[in-house]
Amino acid sequence: MFDVLDAILERATAAGARDVEAYAESSTSHRIKVYRQEVEQLTAAQRRGVGVRVFRDGAVGHAYTSDLSDDALDAVVRRALDHAAVSDPDESAVLPAPGREPADVRPFDPRLPAATDEQRIAVALEAEATALAADPRVKTVEDAMYVDGDGEVFIASTAGVRGSYRAGQCYAFAYVLAEQEGQVETGYSYSVGRALQELDPAFVGGEAAGRACRLLGARKCPSMKAPVVLDPFVSASFFGVLSSALTADAVQKGRSLFAGREGELVAGELLDLLDDGTLPDGLDSAPFDGEGIPCGRTPLIGGGVLQGFLYDTYTARKAGRASTGNGLRSGYSGLPGVRPTNLVVAGPATPLPEIVAGIGRGVLVTDAVGVHSGANPVSGEFSVGISGVLIEDGEFTTPVREVTLAGDIIGMLKGITALGDDARWVPSGSILTPSVVIDGMAIGGT
Amino acid sequence: MTDLLAFDTGLLKAMLARALRRGGDFAEIYIEDRESLGLRLEDGRIEQTSGGRELGAAVRLLSGEHTFYAYSDAVDEAGLTAAADAVAAAVSAGAPSAGVVDLGAVRADAGRNPVLMPPSEVAITRKADLVRAGDEAARAVGAEIVQATVGYGDTRQRVLIVNSLGDAVFDDRTRTRFIAQVVARRGEVIQTGHETVGGSAGFELLDEATARGVAETAAEKARVMLDAKPAPVGAMPVVLANGFGGTLFHEACGHGLEADAIAKGASIYAGKLGEMVAAPIVSAYDDGSLPNGWGSQAFDDEGVPTQKTLVIEEGRLTGYLYDRLRAREAGAQPTGNGRRQSFRHVPIPRMTTTYIAPGDADPADVIASTPKGFYARSLAGGQVEPASGNFVFGVAEGYLIEDGRVTAPLRGATLVGNGIDILMKIDLIAGDFDVKTGVCGKDGQGVPVGTGQATLRIAEMTVGGTG
Repeated sequence: MFDVLDAILERATAAGARDVEAYAESSTSHRIKVYRQEVEQLTAAQRRGVGVRVFRDGAVGHAYTSDLSDDALDAVVRRALDHAAVSDPDESAVLPAPGREPADVRPFDPRLPAATDEQRIAVALEAEATALAADPRVKTVEDAMYVDGDGEVFIASTAGVRGSYRAGQCYAFAYVLAEQEGQVETGYSYSVGRALQELDPAFVGGEAAGRACRLLGARKCPSMKAPVVLDPFVSASFFGVLSSALTADAVQKGRSLFAGREGELVAGELLDLLDDGTLPDGLDSAPFDGEGIPCGRTPLIGGGVLQGFLYDTYTARKAGRASTGNGLRSGYSGLPGVRPTNLVVAGPATPLPEIVAGIGRGVLVTDAVGVHSGANPVSGEFSVGISGVLIEDGEFTTPVREVTLAGDIIGMLKGITALGDDARWVPSGSILTPSVVIDGMAIGGT
Repeated sequence: MTDLLAFDTGLLKAMLARALRRGGDFAEIYIEDRESLGLRLEDGRIEQTSGGRELGAAVRLLSGEHTFYAYSDAVDEAGLTAAADAVAAAVSAGAPSAGVVDLGAVRADAGRNPVLMPPSEVAITRKADLVRAGDEAARAVGAEIVQATVGYGDTRQRVLIVNSLGDAVFDDRTRTRFIAQVVARRGEVIQTGHETVGGSAGFELLDEATARGVAETAAEKARVMLDAKPAPVGAMPVVLANGFGGTLFHEACGHGLEADAIAKGASIYAGKLGEMVAAPIVSAYDDGSLPNGWGSQAFDDEGVPTQKTLVIEEGRLTGYLYDRLRAREAGAQPTGNGRRQSFRHVPIPRMTTTYIAPGDADPADVIASTPKGFYARSLAGGQVEPASGNFVFGVAEGYLIEDGRVTAPLRGATLVGNGIDILMKIDLIAGDFDVKTGVCGKDGQGVPVGTGQATLRIAEMTVGGTG
């Protein structure tokens, strides 16, 4: 692929551009869905393409193509130059310079591409079978899946950035419907890894079934202000939304409720939140980001105090500091944007049973709908629909649903009083989090 | 390899046969050529302008209820051969194998969504002028407007779809869209407003006045919400405004009508054809043939012509939305709802433009006849579990209704409920029908959809707020 990148740099330079960067991707992926113990859908994919950024006096143009023929490379260079001509200049928009050594991360396990379709299918089948056998109230497993991706990325620029790496990951997933007396409840679970052998499909099926069945018989509970326990899935979706407000991009554009609060207490004093693109078991770990800058470890919140933000090259230059290696791309057609790699929610852990035993009246939240639409990372307000289990006198009692949880993000973060001992990776966004206990939340029910 | 119509149909037929050689009863090749351009202005400047071209081909093989799918960016004989071999290898040996009917003449229907000004023929500087005008208009709304993100996008997607039944379809789709997202701030209070216009149409959809109007509307929404008080909690009458209010029907009902959810019993609408699922004043449609609609195209992504499908007639459930696979299983006719985001995605049943048909009430009377309630002017989006019908929606712009008048703006509200329950409680529908544009996500695929309705009232619904 470096020959394609070099050809692009050459053509763009010949057309008068001085600062050019080319980024290519070549990947294969598999996605297998089973239903009633048969393969419902099997997808095998090849993907490759290249994206070009040109910087002209601070004006940036970007173009991409999946066609790597000579004509197409000419066209993509021409487009990038045309696009730069209408972008407004900004002195902070410069070609990223080669920096430190890439992070020592090897996010690839050769066992991943060595797996056969039979092995991949078996993972999905086992997840489904375990869910179906787990409880007679399991009605159907709507989704039982195995998904993997194995890709190489390449980057080269006229500033001397040059690198490539290979990354692979896979996961097993189950989404279960359970039914009792006409009421349907749902539950899901994941298992993630760098190779199929690391997945635990039986755990996935069993957990998804358990989560669905546990909600059967759920009804509204009375409105109250009470402590809630967000399980790791729900916690991950909250921190996922919140993380967009911790990017320098949001701060510099007036879209972050954390702007200007560095050094202030913004969360419970036991809370640490960090971005770490170098963790061996983090699915979004990589030697470098979408601009060729080494991935790193960035504290965001430490002991409840806001420590800092995530930066790419552009936002870092604007702030007069160095990129944190968070200029990430979504494929060859995407521009780098400031995003977290792996987010880690950490702090002193308390055994979960001990936490529950200490709650007089509250709710364990196992599902939240509307976190992405109902939580506003700009104003910090949120209101979401939740399902879960009521906690009374230190014990789980009746399941609840169709109730709302509302508040503001800072108030919620400051209300965090304990973290469970059940930290796990949740793949949508790659977040490592335990259960999180928050005091004084507004629950809207009957 | 730029002209899909010049593709050798003999080669395509041979590839269909190659895919079917070890078994399977239906094979299809989908070839896509997509050119896109996006301009985005934020902080007063047009940022990294981006666009490009993606070419790809997918081979799909059906064997009973099993789907095998392979795709590649290489749209040549080698790429197609590799994809055909990949699906052929996956099908269980010994499955019955269908033959390939000779491909007919390639069908196209260019008249369905006419493009008067192809965006590729419009100078990129004119597109840039529109987003700059939008930024200026948003900021002119007041000193409290602190940020505007204004976007312009156009795509031209050409697809060639052939299958073993002998169908050969070419569809040339142009879509143009303009979006404004505005942030207003007063002291510690920050609010956002959003507005958009788009269609299966060319650059004729937009001019400076339209662009300015979209941006001003978004800015007004953000500014009004600065005065918002926390929304109350509890059950009350809810009036949904026209246009954006249709997202509620899309989420709470539409997804449950998609035939894959029906086939798996994962929908509250499964087995309810002919039954009352809404109040008798409610009729609803999905219409992929709405002229120049954002969710419209002449053919779906399986080469089936799009159509207007009556899904609820005077409260009674009359139909589901099918792709080929689910129609075949159910013994029904495909309804032109087999859609995919791109060649990288398997077609599945999807909505196009889904809407509740207008009634005859006066929108002002809908409010005036509500002594106390909640007025949802625009929704932020939402989520639903089709299996249970439970949904939750964020309200981007909401107000209190007191004594039949819209009064204080309310913030942080969500609407929570259950699909059938809510449709049953619709008791007034006005005539001010409008359609808004959106991108709907399902199974990791985003497709353009329209959502619409007139102003309507739900007699009782749970509002979740912080007040």
